[in-house]
Amino acid sequence: MDAGSCTTLEHVNVPPAQTWNYLKINEATLRMPTPPAKGEVTSRLPRLFCAVEDGIGEAATRWVEDSAGDARYIEVPRHTRREEPILVEVDADEGQVADTGVLVREGAEATVALVSHATGDGRTHSANLVRIICERGARLTVNEVVALGNTHTHLEGLGIQVGEDATVTLRQYALGGHQVALGMAVDLVGDRSRLELETRYFANGEELLDVNHVVRQRGRDTRADLHAHGLLDDAAQKTLRETIDLVHGASRSKGNESETVLVVGEGVTNKTLPVILCDEDDVQGNHGASIGSVGADQLAYLAARGLSEEAAFALFARAVFDDAMIHAAVSEARAAALARATEVLGADVARDLSEALELGQDSPAERDDATC
Amino acid sequence: MSDVIPPTLDERGRSKVADVDRSLYDFKMSEEGYERYADGLTPDIVRAISGKKGEPAWMLELRLKALDVYHRRDMAPNWGPDISGLDLDHISTYVSAGAAQARDWDDVPTDIKDTFERLGIPEAERKSLAGVGAQYDSEIVYHNMREEVAKSGVVYTTIEDALRDPQWEGVVRAYFGKLIPMDDHKFAALHYAVWSGGSFVFVPAGVRVDYPLQSYFRLNASGAGQFEHTLIIVEEGADLHFIEGCSAPKYYEANLHAGAVELYVKDGARLRYSTIENWSKNMYNLNTKRATVGADAKMEWVSGSFGSHVSYLYPTTILAGANSTCEFTGITFAGAGQDLDTGCKVVLGGANTAASVDTKSISKDGGVNTFRSAVVVGRRADHARASVSCQSLMLDDISRSDTIPAMDVRNNTAAVGHEASIGRISNDTILYLMSRGCSEQEARSMVVNGFANPVSKELPLEYAVEMNNLIKLEMEGAIG
Repeated sequence: MDAGSCTTLEHVNVPPAQTWNYLKINEATLRMPTPPAKGEVTSRLPRLFCAVEDGIGEAATRWVEDSAGDARYIEVPRHTRREEPILVEVDADEGQVADTGVLVREGAEATVALVSHATGDGRTHSANLVRIICERGARLTVNEVVALGNTHTHLEGLGIQVGEDATVTLRQYALGGHQVALGMAVDLVGDRSRLELETRYFANGEELLDVNHVVRQRGRDTRADLHAHGLLDDAAQKTLRETIDLVHGASRSKGNESETVLVVGEGVTNKTLPVILCDEDDVQGNHGASIGSVGADQLAYLAARGLSEEAAFALFARAVFDDAMIHAAVSEARAAALARATEVLGADVARDLSEALELGQDSPAERDDATC
Repeated sequence: MSDVIPPTLDERGRSKVADVDRSLYDFKMSEEGYERYADGLTPDIVRAISGKKGEPAWMLELRLKALDVYHRRDMAPNWGPDISGLDLDHISTYVSAGAAQARDWDDVPTDIKDTFERLGIPEAERKSLAGVGAQYDSEIVYHNMREEVAKSGVVYTTIEDALRDPQWEGVVRAYFGKLIPMDDHKFAALHYAVWSGGSFVFVPAGVRVDYPLQSYFRLNASGAGQFEHTLIIVEEGADLHFIEGCSAPKYYEANLHAGAVELYVKDGARLRYSTIENWSKNMYNLNTKRATVGADAKMEWVSGSFGSHVSYLYPTTILAGANSTCEFTGITFAGAGQDLDTGCKVVLGGANTAASVDTKSISKDGGVNTFRSAVVVGRRADHARASVSCQSLMLDDISRSDTIPAMDVRNNTAAVGHEASIGRISNDTILYLMSRGCSEQEARSMVVNGFANPVSKELPLEYAVEMNNLIKLEMEGAIG
């Protein structure tokens, strides 16, 4: 969207439980274009999506709904397996705003790919909001890539409601952007529902990355595993809020969250708020966080093998992009990660990444041939 | 601890933990003949408190300014447990028995002396303390220190007495209200407006106080507040252990405790500050504690929170000097009708600073525990290290336990680690212990005892009988 008149979105990415306001960790604020007047709008997502929490908050959700041209609704029929991934693509260079609802019916299986990308240097504002209802026994894989340049402001929300015996596997990559607010809320409402979340992030320059993960464990015997790994360079600022909410009645449920942050740049600000809320005794909630740089011993070990400190950090950074490309569900996601890698790591490294990936893609076929 | 009483089991196999027996603390004395200021908060009341103490003009000025800040300042709308039941218009900010401050327990009025006897304070003083201060409602009624400690240059007195002493008035003025500014939060402002009682401690450079000093705060009056101020200065290379205890009988109307503790630990010094808080369940405990720590110095907090209806308690340590360290060890026990929001804050400002936080909490009978922490590593804190561990035990399904730890790291050579876990006693653990020959009850007892033990062993049981009594009640009668 063009930044004509602007509006300030407050209370973005607010976690369910907050802490001292002076730490400035409780919420994010974004300056976004004022949504165009659209008059009476009737083509919205079905009402059942209104109940899906998305992590970015009410004001931000309303802004996306008001700013998106139309909402898109996709339904995966019960007991079917949708082969091709559902692609929700936002071209941030064009300032696109997308509002999408996906209903994965009982026993169905689907992959959703969220790709927000940009390669230009225009000062744009974009957003991607996806709300998913995953019915009983459904299998959902989500691959989310945000790969923008240091002139783009982006808001991204993801809400998933998970029914009985349904599972969600989510890989989330935040690879850059001037200011990116990434919210996610998963409601494990059904008994024995599962969530596995792997988050990888990279921020450098003066980028601001603000992440809010909220997982409500309501059903009995639910599982949530949230793991985040990231690298921060230069004067990047990152905030990660992770909340596991073990709601009363969620007996035998387990929730685990962990974060490993590699702080490279001297001007980095890393904020982490890992919260466990527990209103039930027959549950387990665990959290672990490790924030720091590569130890002197480890650097010495690498130096003994011919790797300088810079080369070691470059390897760690490359690993984030490598992972994004390996796990990309669609070619658009891979292209977005590669374009960002080219900008951050340089063309040579990006080419190397790309070639290695092609080699890796050949491998299964080669293995199959060998087996035959 | 001896005579361990194992916990019993309920119908779902949970360890059933007895309530904390507060009968030791839950006795009241008549307020007949006491001086009690009108409820509410006005400039006239503030002037009356100041006039009563014969303070210097600057202190009255500070009080009135704080009163203004209090009235202007709002509570953060998104903060912790509900305190809407606290109405300052129905709280008296000053209640005094009118007793002169004594240096001999025999000179203390009988009913007050009896109160502290029942709490075990004089006995503890005889056995293991270097000095004792005892506050009853708004005023210190007893203050004494061993002669040999006084001879080493240690000063342990009330803030009021220090203000009246030309040698110390300037020191109080230089330090009072500097570490906890009056605009820190609404209840800090309230504290500065109506503070009364508390302790002033000065330990000269290089002096090691071998036995702890203890201040005990007893709030006997109903519908009243206690606002003591503790100011401790441990000079370069000195060493002190200070113990703070507090209790009150239970009333049906709200009581308020809004004290302030300012601790200055100079270069190379060490201060251990131990607190056992056992306020009654009608108490709003909105206390503020803060320490600043110099180079190569060490601050140790040991904190046990067992009482009060609502607590906001987060001792803060500012590791300002290079190589300074901080250890925080805490245990919180929330039972029926209690909502305890406790934890700590550490700011690592100097190079090579280190902080270690280890807390445990137990929730039962609908009690609510919130562990809240903030670890902030500043830009200049090269090679700073911090580790935070928080473990919570839920003993039934009507209680609640939340952990809200925040970390803000701004140095790329620092290392910060955090771990938290919430749960109940694992059946696997019980099975494992039973396979080694323990009965189920012994196994459960062992697990609960082991859970609290790393913290309880740090509590200064050998120094204060009052604490002995409390911890015995908690750990033996209650936890196993």
